[in-house]
Amino acid sequence: MRNLLVISALLMTALPLVAQTQGQPPISAQRRAGPPTGPVPRLPDGTVDLTGVWVGGGPINDLEREGGLKPGELDALMLPSAKALMATRDVTMEPHNRCLPMGVPRTTPFPFRIVQTPTHKAATHIFILQEGNIHSYRQVFMDGRKHPAELDPTWYGHSIGWWEGDTLVIDTTGYNDKFWFDRRGHPHTERLHTIERWTRKDLGHMENKVTIDDLGAYTKPFTLTFMATLSPPGDELLEYICQENNQYGVQTIPGFDVTTGETKK
Amino acid sequence: MRIRIALLLAGLGLFCSAASVVAHHSVTGEFDPNKTVTLKGVVTKIEWTNPHARIYIDVVQPNKTMVNWNLELAAVSALVRNGWTRSALKVGDTVTVEGIQARSGASIANARSVVLPDGRKVFSGAADQ
Repeated sequence: MRNLLVISALLMTALPLVAQTQGQPPISAQRRAGPPTGPVPRLPDGTVDLTGVWVGGGPINDLEREGGLKPGELDALMLPSAKALMATRDVTMEPHNRCLPMGVPRTTPFPFRIVQTPTHKAATHIFILQEGNIHSYRQVFMDGRKHPAELDPTWYGHSIGWWEGDTLVIDTTGYNDKFWFDRRGHPHTERLHTIERWTRKDLGHMENKVTIDDLGAYTKPFTLTFMATLSPPGDELLEYICQENNQYGVQTIPGFDVTTGETKK
Repeated sequence: MRIRIALLLAGLGLFCSAASVVAHHSVTGEFDPNKTVTLKGVVTKIEWTNPHARIYIDVVQPNKTMVNWNLELAAVSALVRNGWTRSALKVGDTVTVEGIQARSGASIANARSVVLPDGRKVFSGAADQ
């Protein structure tokens, strides 16, 4: 009898998983069918609700092309120092390969979840939880504070946010110069300042119009546009510990140094 | 029931298999798309890990020696979103793998497809799905 109880308890915990697997196609197939459709959801106070599991909304391979610029348009804005730095880079060297964060506005093939934290008052923080390429989070201060006068450079910088109508504006400074904007190796300096404008167009789409202002690497600020899509219901962030079994370059690339990401020719 | 689910998933996997197994990095930096390999061997180890799942297979060489190949698959999260669980393949299974070999020439490859003797394709999936 006791065994039976244990077995039934086990079955009950196992069943939902089986039912889910049987009843619905895998998340990837659902994603290919397109994001969920419907109107922009709102919180009880009328604020746009951005919460959910999202994919995309930034560059991966090519900042210029994916951001909607014409070929050569971005490269024409690069200062000689930035061009020289980019010329030293190849795809095997990017920090991403060694499980380091992708910075801003870059994204990955992995989803992120936006978390707003309203209580009886408006949200004081918005969090962007990244599944990959490493588990990390962006913290956006929504309480009206300013950027500190002096900041230690970090991968995600110091972000303050506010609403302009239905658009969430995220203003970030205090970045380090370590991450690459894309696999091509578009660089930036610690002078980087980004202004993201996230606008949920409907239930399934969220536009990110981002201005990149870095006079240390580019002659003037420029603006790019990306679109994130909502992952289907049932998708959740999954554990992704990039450091667990990262064999990038180990024995696959002759002369590769796993500490620096550089290859001795 | 389990077999039916597995078959269903295998079918879906086959459907999705055209996609590459690109994951958290650019595959061609490490692997040479011109060095395609087809390997038949017995699974000795399955690593259900990130940033890539990996399987290791023993492959008998023409001179009868054995070489253990290390085969990189998509990220576990990508495989899971494609409906796979690690039990779709077991140590001791014989598989045929098509992939591209490491630029160093080591016995390491990025697997484009993993096929069981009955033709079922397992562990297909790209990280962007």
